[in-house]
Amino acid sequence: MNEEIVISLKGVRKTFRDFWLRPTVNAVDGLDLSVRRGEVFGLLGPNGSGKSTTIKMILGLLDPTAGEVLMFGRSPRSLSARARLGYLPELSYMHPFLTARETLMYYAGLCGLSRNEGAKRTAELLAMVKLEDVANRAVGGFSKGMARRVALASALVGRPELLVLDEPTSGLDPVSTKEVKMLVKALAANGMTILMTSHLLADAEDVCDRVMILNHGKAVAEGRVAELGGSLEDFFLAKVGSADEFVLADFLS
Amino acid sequence: MRRWLAIILATALELLCEPLFLLVLLAALVLAAVAPAMHYHQFGEASRMARDAGLSSVLIGGAVVAFVGPVRTFRREFETGTAQVALAHSVSRTAFFLSKTIGCAVAYFAFVAIVSLTSLTIVNGAEIGGRFASVRGDMARLWGPSFALAVAVIVLPLVAGAVLNRFARFRFTLTANVFALLVAFAGAFYRFDAALASRLLPALALATSPALVLLASSAAFAVRFKANAAMSFVALVAACLMPALGCYCLSDALADGGSIPAGYAALAFAVLAPAVAAPLVLGVHFINGRDVQ
Repeated sequence: MNEEIVISLKGVRKTFRDFWLRPTVNAVDGLDLSVRRGEVFGLLGPNGSGKSTTIKMILGLLDPTAGEVLMFGRSPRSLSARARLGYLPELSYMHPFLTARETLMYYAGLCGLSRNEGAKRTAELLAMVKLEDVANRAVGGFSKGMARRVALASALVGRPELLVLDEPTSGLDPVSTKEVKMLVKALAANGMTILMTSHLLADAEDVCDRVMILNHGKAVAEGRVAELGGSLEDFFLAKVGSADEFVLADFLS
Repeated sequence: MRRWLAIILATALELLCEPLFLLVLLAALVLAAVAPAMHYHQFGEASRMARDAGLSSVLIGGAVVAFVGPVRTFRREFETGTAQVALAHSVSRTAFFLSKTIGCAVAYFAFVAIVSLTSLTIVNGAEIGGRFASVRGDMARLWGPSFALAVAVIVLPLVAGAVLNRFARFRFTLTANVFALLVAFAGAFYRFDAALASRLLPALALATSPALVLLASSAAFAVRFKANAAMSFVALVAACLMPALGCYCLSDALADGGSIPAGYAALAFAVLAPAVAAPLVLGVHFINGRDVQ
């Protein structure tokens, strides 16, 4: 790992507004974050803590209300910066009428690969995610796990330097989850920078070098996993609190 | 260019695979086939009826495709999240919007090609029927060949789509559309009338031009508003276009036996260019200003 900063957020704030431009939600509030080349960085937090919003600002899909977001030292809207990026969204968003092969060819086209390069890369990735047998079936009929594998392969089509994974193990069975974690470790070992979010703290603990915990749009803790001193779950509950347990207790009483 | 091509092809494929597209196409083909058959008692006017019905089908069915197609594909991109993934690649928002709009136009022109070639097929059939009738005086045979060809254009693609879907897993709607195009092409050109084509093509170009304004407006509003609101705005654009359509007088131009004057066509396209460009500029502004979630 070197000290080159791949992703940098400084004082980033995001306020969503309604049709009349009235502020509705302050999703991210004054966030500072930096991800170095070659590290696996975990963005953790409860639902609604601002993880996905942060990722979408890094991808250039949302514009920050205030602050600065840089990817490879450039604006996230820069095409040259985005050419070095792979993205796996929280849900496997795909065109249901395309087959698995056509889906990967489509993303190969979006990465600017030629038809031959795209076909070669598609075959490699279908083999990697073990979907060669169903390559010519429409992804609309795939199970959640199979769709997740296609989405993961799509994120890797352009041989990205930075991989952004939003809940990468969401919807996968334990075997597939383990395979994804092994894949993330293998990609990181090859020098890829990975930013991931997860609700599953065990997943983050297994693969992340460094984590940041978000709550109500603010960073409440940041540090290396190896230096936490205990389990990530204990650390997380200490920082975020187990509010859900209290709510449940109130409900039951 | 590869990026543009990928989005154009995916969008055209999406719309051509839509059951709604096939439904509108079949309705337009039935209108083009049945309307002239019902009027074949007007001796000597069979071909004109077929041409008029064909142009009406292109106008009405094409307007539906141009109106609904972009709204459906853009809203689906934003609501299902596929736009997020596409825009996370090195594709600018402007390129995404324009290439998707071109993809919609490809699907629209496929529709126009199928319906207009079917009309030519029916014109051919009507003239064959006319010859039978004048020689043998048999009214029942007058519309027979025309109607049979029209039925072939409608039924054969559906059968081919079903068979290939059953035995080779081809996409039903896409296969049916491709076969409709092939059958219509064969029917239209087995006895090619260059003079008729030279009169029909400018008329078709003029008939499609208001639909292109609708298509561009539909794409622009779909980027900014939800489906119902977008359709309301496009309906407003369509209402504004209606008086302009009254000035086209395509049927009269063709009935006189002459072609549409070149100056008239040039003026129409001079009006068309900014009318299409304006919504496209608006769409680019909308997509660059919005959050993609």
